[in-house]
Amino acid sequence: MTWTLVAAIWATLFAGITLLLSRDLLRAILGSMILGSAVNLMIFAAGRVGPSGPAIVPYGTQALAEGSANPLPQALVLTAIVIGLALACFAFVLIQGIVTATGTADSTRLRIAEPLPDHPYYPPHPGPDDGGPSPAATEAARPVAAEAPR
Amino acid sequence: MADATHADPDHAHADTAHAGLSLVACALWIALPASVLAAVLWLATHGPLPVAVSRDWVPALGVSFAFRIDGLSLMMLLLISGIGVAVFSYAGAYMAGDPKQVRLYGLLTAFMLAMAGAVTADDVILLFLFWEATSILSFLLVGLKHDKPEARKSAQQALLVTGTGGLALLAGLLILVQQFGTTQLSAIVAGMADSGPTPLSNAALLLIFVGCFTKSAQFPFHFWLPNAMAAPTPVSAYLHSATMVKLGVFLLARFDAGAGEWPLWTMLLQAVGSITAAWGMTLALSERDLKRILAWSTVATLGTLVVLVGLPGPEASLAVGSLLLAHALYKAPLFFVAGNVDHGAGTRIIDNLGNLRRSMPLTAVAAALAGLSMAGLPLSFGYVVKVVTYEAKAVEGVLTWVPLANQIFTALAVAVAGTAAIRLFWWNPGGVEAPAAHECSWGMVLPPLVVAGAGLVLGFYPGIVTELLLGVAGAMETTRPGVVALPTPAEQLNPADIWGTVGATLLAGGFILYFWDFLHRVLMRPFAVVARMGARAFFDASLAALPRIAARVTRGLQHGNGPRYMMLAVVATLAALAAVLPRALADVALPVWEAPSAGLATGVAMIVAGAVAVLLLRDRFVLILAAGLVGYGSAVVFLFLGAPDVAFTQFVVETVFVIIAAAVLIALRGGGKAQVHADRSMPVALLLAGALASAVTALLVAVIARPFDPVLSDYFGSVSVPEAFGRNVVNVILVDFRAVDTLGEITVIALSFMAALPLLQRLMASTADIATQAGGRRVVMLDVVAGPLYRVILIASIVVYFRGHNEPGGGFIGGLLAVTATILWAIAHGSRAAEARLPFGNALVLTAAGFGLGAAAGLPAWLYGLPYMTHLWATIPLGITDLKVSTVYLFDLGVYLAVWGGLGGYVLHLLGRMRQDDREGSVT
Repeated sequence: MTWTLVAAIWATLFAGITLLLSRDLLRAILGSMILGSAVNLMIFAAGRVGPSGPAIVPYGTQALAEGSANPLPQALVLTAIVIGLALACFAFVLIQGIVTATGTADSTRLRIAEPLPDHPYYPPHPGPDDGGPSPAATEAARPVAAEAPR
Repeated sequence: MADATHADPDHAHADTAHAGLSLVACALWIALPASVLAAVLWLATHGPLPVAVSRDWVPALGVSFAFRIDGLSLMMLLLISGIGVAVFSYAGAYMAGDPKQVRLYGLLTAFMLAMAGAVTADDVILLFLFWEATSILSFLLVGLKHDKPEARKSAQQALLVTGTGGLALLAGLLILVQQFGTTQLSAIVAGMADSGPTPLSNAALLLIFVGCFTKSAQFPFHFWLPNAMAAPTPVSAYLHSATMVKLGVFLLARFDAGAGEWPLWTMLLQAVGSITAAWGMTLALSERDLKRILAWSTVATLGTLVVLVGLPGPEASLAVGSLLLAHALYKAPLFFVAGNVDHGAGTRIIDNLGNLRRSMPLTAVAAALAGLSMAGLPLSFGYVVKVVTYEAKAVEGVLTWVPLANQIFTALAVAVAGTAAIRLFWWNPGGVEAPAAHECSWGMVLPPLVVAGAGLVLGFYPGIVTELLLGVAGAMETTRPGVVALPTPAEQLNPADIWGTVGATLLAGGFILYFWDFLHRVLMRPFAVVARMGARAFFDASLAALPRIAARVTRGLQHGNGPRYMMLAVVATLAALAAVLPRALADVALPVWEAPSAGLATGVAMIVAGAVAVLLLRDRFVLILAAGLVGYGSAVVFLFLGAPDVAFTQFVVETVFVIIAAAVLIALRGGGKAQVHADRSMPVALLLAGALASAVTALLVAVIARPFDPVLSDYFGSVSVPEAFGRNVVNVILVDFRAVDTLGEITVIALSFMAALPLLQRLMASTADIATQAGGRRVVMLDVVAGPLYRVILIASIVVYFRGHNEPGGGFIGGLLAVTATILWAIAHGSRAAEARLPFGNALVLTAAGFGLGAAAGLPAWLYGLPYMTHLWATIPLGITDLKVSTVYLFDLGVYLAVWGGLGGYVLHLLGRMRQDDREGSVT
């Protein structure tokens, strides 16, 4: 039983991490969601699996019967699932915003916050779109080439 | 800086004589070092040494305001205050009329206090702070004429060299603090003497050497000092001759009592000091600027001081004290002379100067007095030093090249003294004279005369300072040396010495002085060759390379490529796991194989199928369905492992997720904006994912293989009914035992929605109202069914919420069911209509109300003096049966509403978007 679950966890982790390493933002978010499922299963497995009765105290008794499942990981996982959905929704909204603004979901082509360098060592110009100074102003703020060492 | 604001109004009148300070103001500034001098003199004649005071500062770290004045500190204080008085007086005249005069005085005063603190601090952290303060003040003083690029560059260089050394010093001091368990300097020195050299303390010593060598301009860090001559003359005379550059020597002398006998100490100090003494003095030949010539001779003298500190024996310690004093007494006046010549003749270049005695007679006298001492002629204090130094080097354990280096040093010192005292004033080999040279004011003439005169007086009466020098030697040795007799005037005039050692040195010095220009020309080429591979060139190259290296490192780490950031995180996690896994997996009993139940096998098969599918599929719609399959599979697993609550939650969540993801996808596809080329890094990603997945799984197995500690689970299982009156233990944990946690979780849901709302509204702003325009593509069947179904689902969700305390269900599942009802309405009648049907008619308000209700449900407990979120129960008799009411139900209702509002809000906005694009028919 345990090993079957472990195999499922491995497959989930593998798929989740692979998607997370993708350039496509949508795939990456799906990856993080699948990774979330993997973590939920891991928490569940760490609470040991075996007894499969629901964690409900039968009427007429005062404590959980033998053969009931461990209630603690269930409580942890239950809220984690709901929060995971809330965060996934948030991520989806962000992606939609990014794609609407930039026209791409390829994370390697998102260069507004981290533009490609245009100088051997000075930081690249922040784009005028994100509130940074205009390229001309940045250029003026730099030390003149003559004073810069070699 | 406050001083600058004082000076600014005067700036316009910089050319008038009254722009600077009045005589009275100058006198007030001078009163500061003068009063310190008086106190030091009183202490020297009255006080029993050492004097120590201490106040706690950071007791947790053992750092305190501890000061201790012994013979060595006293000598340094004497130089700081004595030369301070001369420098402050000189600055009054030298900077007269300059608007920067106030700034200069302010900085000099701050510097003086920092120096005094550095030489008296008995706490290494305190010492370091003062040490760094002198570096920073030196930076400000060298850069006083900050409108000149040369001054800025020199100031920066001095700061970088001494600042870097300061960091090394701090590291060394901290090692010693660790080793000896105290920050008290005197205790550390005593501990070092007791413990002898250890690898750790030798390492600390090397770091401290770097600090001292940079501060005292020792080879190979010697190059910054002559460049610091960009500073005004008072600064050069004070910082870069008499006091700050001696701080390194001072600290070495401070450790002499502890490490003076260690092999590393004696070898390294003698070697470095000798090289600095000989090479620094030789470099004087490369200069034509009088001030830079003097600066190189200062470097060389500092080298000699380092050699003397490195020599064993009390004689050497005595020599350190005498040379410290003598050097201050002749080099400060010589700097004043250089300043006077610059002021009176308009240049410091020795080629353009000569026979200045006619126009500047008093300066000539001062130069002669100081030159006598520097050349070490009899009847000057310089000669006394020479004798003492000679005795110091007569002991065992002196490196062979030390005497040779000293010969070069002394001969060239004579030549430098001759250049300053004779060539400029009595001779004119260059043939050019400054025509308009004139004598300076008394304020600039008296300080060099008095200070240089003091050097001569001490030559006649060396007995005056015997006690002071013994104090220095006492501080540098574990045992204070006995009485020592400095040579009297009669002994100084011993003919044998004069015609012997003194005569030989004088002859050599005179020779160099005469052929100075010739030697300069001959040596220029070798100097240039050495300069190209010297420390200065290395410094410049490092400075130029720094931004490039920084850029390379930064761009290597901050490349802006998302997948590569993620790969770094994966690799780092892998490395961390690799470190713990072998220990975690050592001797664990692996769980035994059991065949899974049919239900579990079904769930796992769904999960694996979904996981394989997401890796193989490229179409995003199917991809989302495959991801959903992983979720549904998990739900099946939960269902068959005794977790119905979790299973139901997962089922509903997965359904909502697929709907939302599909909505987003439709919106993106509608714009046709999400085309991504195939990942070239896929094989690497698969490899990394496989490794990390295996490592994490291995860790999980290691956890499972260990014995299970059921204490918490058993506790919750056994008290759930008697204490919390609930039979569904999972729900009881969520809403009662761990209710505050759950409150935090619905906060996350609420905050997530609130954070996304502005973006959602902006995305919606471009689309028109869905509800009014959605008519065209309505599904009639859905229209008919939606009304009753909506009510049925809502009623079901309320039932689920109510029975959650005793049966599977609860606020989370109930809220999620309500969300599906909202989805249904939104699909049938549009988002606007669906939102109007929510309680309060607004998703955000609903979320806030849910959160508020949850938070408020914990408050009544306070009325009974119970902790927040302790739930209260009451029984209302209804005749047939009793109705149990509790704040638990309020809390769970809060959860229900927050989930409904938060997730429902997302759904409404995202579905609205989908229907908009749907209606435009852009999906094919």
